[in-house]
Amino acid sequence: MRKSSERQTPYWAAAACALSVFLALVVQAAPTQLVDGVNIMPTWPLIAIFLWAGLRPYFMPPILVFSIGLFQDLLTGAPMGVWALAYLVSISALRFRGEDGMPRDLPPILARFAGTLVLAHAIAYAAGSLALGQLADLRPLMIEATATMLMFPLIAHFALRRRRSSRTGFIGG
Amino acid sequence: MASRRSGRHEGEGGVRFSRTLFIALLVLSGALIAFDRPETRSSGFASFRAGFTDIAAPVLELAAQPVRGLKGIGPYFRRQGALADENAELRQQLVEARYWEDLAYRQRDRIEVYEAALDINTPATQERIGAWTVADPEGPFVRARLIGRGRDAGIDDGYPVINLYGLVGRVFESGRRSARILLLTDLNSRIPVMADRSNARAILIGDNTAYPRLDYVGRDADIQPGDRIVSSGDDGILPRGLPVGEAVEARDGSWRVRLYSDQAPVDFVWVWPYQRIEPPVDEPEAAEVEAALDAPGPDAEGSAAAIPDSEALPEGDEQ
Repeated sequence: MRKSSERQTPYWAAAACALSVFLALVVQAAPTQLVDGVNIMPTWPLIAIFLWAGLRPYFMPPILVFSIGLFQDLLTGAPMGVWALAYLVSISALRFRGEDGMPRDLPPILARFAGTLVLAHAIAYAAGSLALGQLADLRPLMIEATATMLMFPLIAHFALRRRRSSRTGFIGG
Repeated sequence: MASRRSGRHEGEGGVRFSRTLFIALLVLSGALIAFDRPETRSSGFASFRAGFTDIAAPVLELAAQPVRGLKGIGPYFRRQGALADENAELRQQLVEARYWEDLAYRQRDRIEVYEAALDINTPATQERIGAWTVADPEGPFVRARLIGRGRDAGIDDGYPVINLYGLVGRVFESGRRSARILLLTDLNSRIPVMADRSNARAILIGDNTAYPRLDYVGRDADIQPGDRIVSSGDDGILPRGLPVGEAVEARDGSWRVRLYSDQAPVDFVWVWPYQRIEPPVDEPEAAEVEAALDAPGPDAEGSAAAIPDSEALPEGDEQ
């Protein structure tokens, strides 16, 4: 069992969490289409939320997950509540339970993330279609989900490596 | 004694999870989705969204700088072989453009003569407002761009937005320092257009594809592949004659438009502060007219004051 003193220095982790979420949101809205041929954007905020919800669950309470989704809605011009609802439900349903519940191997994390991704995008599609009053465009959503799934292992690999190398087993701790 | 259950759970290794809060957030999400629909968005929601983008715009502008630095890197490597041909073609177009420039100057002089003869005071030409794109999320729900200028620069909802090649869309959310452009390809975009050659009218409807479709064309509409499609100005929202694209016949026989604005990334754009032409107001009641005519006071100032406001010319009629 870990000593309580090992959990008393979460400042670096908090800063890393805030910075990664902030960057994810900004990059999500960045004008990447200026670079010819790059029109594919993974769902960076979902990656950030999922990993931090596993590594530091107390950094990702439902209110923050909801807020990140709402910020994404506002930044991307989507109807408010679409991504907020999608993230809230998918993360709450499929997150790793407990403070140290996230496995240290990549495959189970990938499997759990795939489920979260599919659920989040399905909810976003349904909620977005409801808000628009007609079926939303499925193609960009599928491209986005595929790009996210391809990009996630790289980010997760670095997160796990950092976690293994840290003394307490937690990023920033 | 049975322990009292509360909505807050502490059994996840110190992770606090309030069920009540979770349900409240679910309800809030549902309410936002129900009330923040693009077609029926209230002014309160619109103001909130515009205020948020005002705050976010400087950060997004900062983030866009490195991306803008990489702009065109693809075409540069791809087009090296075609540069000589492109250069020759551009020189030829420059020669032709000089002819049109001379023609435009001659027409301007002629219009000035006509206006002087008719004693017409046309309003001064309004300057277009230049703006950079700071965000362009390619999402499934909206095709829009965020630009880094807003109401402080004179931008307002409904103003047409053009780039170097043609119409890009319309402003639909304007904050003080930022504005969002609804692209012609968005599901909610509806623009009255016409074929430049035949004046055949249609509505350009966005459907989230790169080629928006022409609808309400009519049975025997005189449209041919390659026709230049321009805004018709029929609704008074957009000025007439803004270049939109080229007509393309789809396999199913419907008509679509290859947008001119797609020839380059939508990066720097101009917003045209075009004043909407209001429809004519109702005829004043006969009693109002008689009262105005019978109003005492021989001085012109008093007579002018007695004329009801409804007789004043709409602003758009001056243009």
